[in-house]
Amino acid sequence: MNNNKEQVVITVLGANKPGILAGITRTIADSNVNVEDVSQKIMQDLFALMMMTDFSAANCSFEEFQNRMQAMADQLRVKVFIQHEDVFRYQHRL
Amino acid sequence: MLFSLEEVIETISAVGVETFDIRTISCGINIMSCADADVHKCAAKVYDKVIKVARDLVPTARTLEKKYGIPIVNKRISVTPVSMLANAFTEPTAVPIAIALDNAAKELGIDYIAGFGALIQKGFTRGDQILLNSIPDALCSTDRVCSSVNIGSSQSGINMDGVYRMAEIVKEAAERSRDKNGLACAKLVVFCNAVEDNPFIAGSFLGPGEAEAILNVGISGPGVVRAALERAHDLSFGELSELIKKVSFKITRTGELVGREASRMMGIPFGIIDLSLAPTPAKGDSISDILELMGLERTGCHGTTAALAMLNDAVKKGGMMAATYAGGLSGAFIPVTEDDGMCRAIEAGALNIQKLEAMTCVCSVGLDMVAIPGDTPVDVIAGIIADEAAIGMINHKTTACRLIPVPGMKAGDVVDFGGLLGKGPIMEVGRHSPSVFVRRGGRIPAPVHSMKN
Repeated sequence: MNNNKEQVVITVLGANKPGILAGITRTIADSNVNVEDVSQKIMQDLFALMMMTDFSAANCSFEEFQNRMQAMADQLRVKVFIQHEDVFRYQHRL
Repeated sequence: MLFSLEEVIETISAVGVETFDIRTISCGINIMSCADADVHKCAAKVYDKVIKVARDLVPTARTLEKKYGIPIVNKRISVTPVSMLANAFTEPTAVPIAIALDNAAKELGIDYIAGFGALIQKGFTRGDQILLNSIPDALCSTDRVCSSVNIGSSQSGINMDGVYRMAEIVKEAAERSRDKNGLACAKLVVFCNAVEDNPFIAGSFLGPGEAEAILNVGISGPGVVRAALERAHDLSFGELSELIKKVSFKITRTGELVGREASRMMGIPFGIIDLSLAPTPAKGDSISDILELMGLERTGCHGTTAALAMLNDAVKKGGMMAATYAGGLSGAFIPVTEDDGMCRAIEAGALNIQKLEAMTCVCSVGLDMVAIPGDTPVDVIAGIIADEAAIGMINHKTTACRLIPVPGMKAGDVVDFGGLLGKGPIMEVGRHSPSVFVRRGGRIPAPVHSMKN
């Protein structure tokens, strides 16, 4: 693994409708955060998206990125969670 | 993908739905370097040192909350038992130290600061006497200072003079804070076998064997255990224990991550994780709910002690594997007013103080946040403390009393302390007097199993 990476997990949950993925990825791209892996499911009418991203080359602070993403999520009326991958690694991997 | 969508959603819903949080990051600070015969000079040094060492505590916790998406509810500070400094004071008061600690806590944005206490399991020093005499005044003239006093241990026995003195202090502190329903007593703990690295308030202090400064983390998560049990039916005891262990493991790992990272950011060594299930008055964040989900009609019915023993043990086993250094109190807390389910069990007549005492034989602490009638005599309070200390002494475990004799209230009345301290019914206590016994004076000798050398 590239040790310089700063991996951040982005999770989006909400009612399914057109444009969620587009809106979210646009904000990610605008922040120069690199998407490395994507997993998306529609469970009944619930839109669930998870992305593994590399934050190391971002053009803003982590907090500013969270704010930008939150603003987009509010616009799309979905919930977004931006968390460092360590929290998942510690809980789910030995 | 490194993680499955289900795993990510499990972590997110633990916080969002099941009220999982890091209950506290507590910074222990050694204040022995502040010693001075002049209590006011000493207080100024204590203020400066606390500010200097813990300046980054709140900002660090805020950064970590954002980074990991896990709430860190409390940021707290504990100090060396202040009685050790009080030995040198010319003037026989330690109240200025409490005020300095209170001011430092306010300056740093810390809700509670603890360590205004003494270790008197074998006897009193001059400093201990000064400290004890200052407790009611200190708790009533500050907002955020907590006090704890250790009156017994498995190694030393029980200092019954200390027990009686603490019963008097509990009573006095309640009377002095009559306008707030005896709130000062919610910040006062009487311990047997106090641990030196407990991050939880009100009983936290930095033990004399600890380092110059240390970060301890207290996790929580009764709601996560409850949610897991809600999804699981018809489990045998082995399977139930396994389920609780897994949940405990996961929440403790999060505490380990936060502790390591906070330690790195602040340049203060990471001490221990206290892997406790600590309830709050929030709905669903209850130990009682877990016990009832295990199959009890009401907490307090026969079988409750066994259920709690199993829960306490499974929490420890799961957490131990997840933490590099487990410590503190580690287990299941069973405070009354802080746990809505416990209060309901009392109101339903299922739980009384005798059963609660039995439960403290197997929980991680003791009679915690128990409101009792305001006219309870000092002798009875001393009896309750002595019983609780005896359980701890004989069973080699920490026990504690945080009793609030609420002035003007009687059994069945409801008292509201507000916030995390919660509200609940006043519990009936025994009516017969232990007065001759508790006033005998001296020390209950250490039990036979203390002689291990």
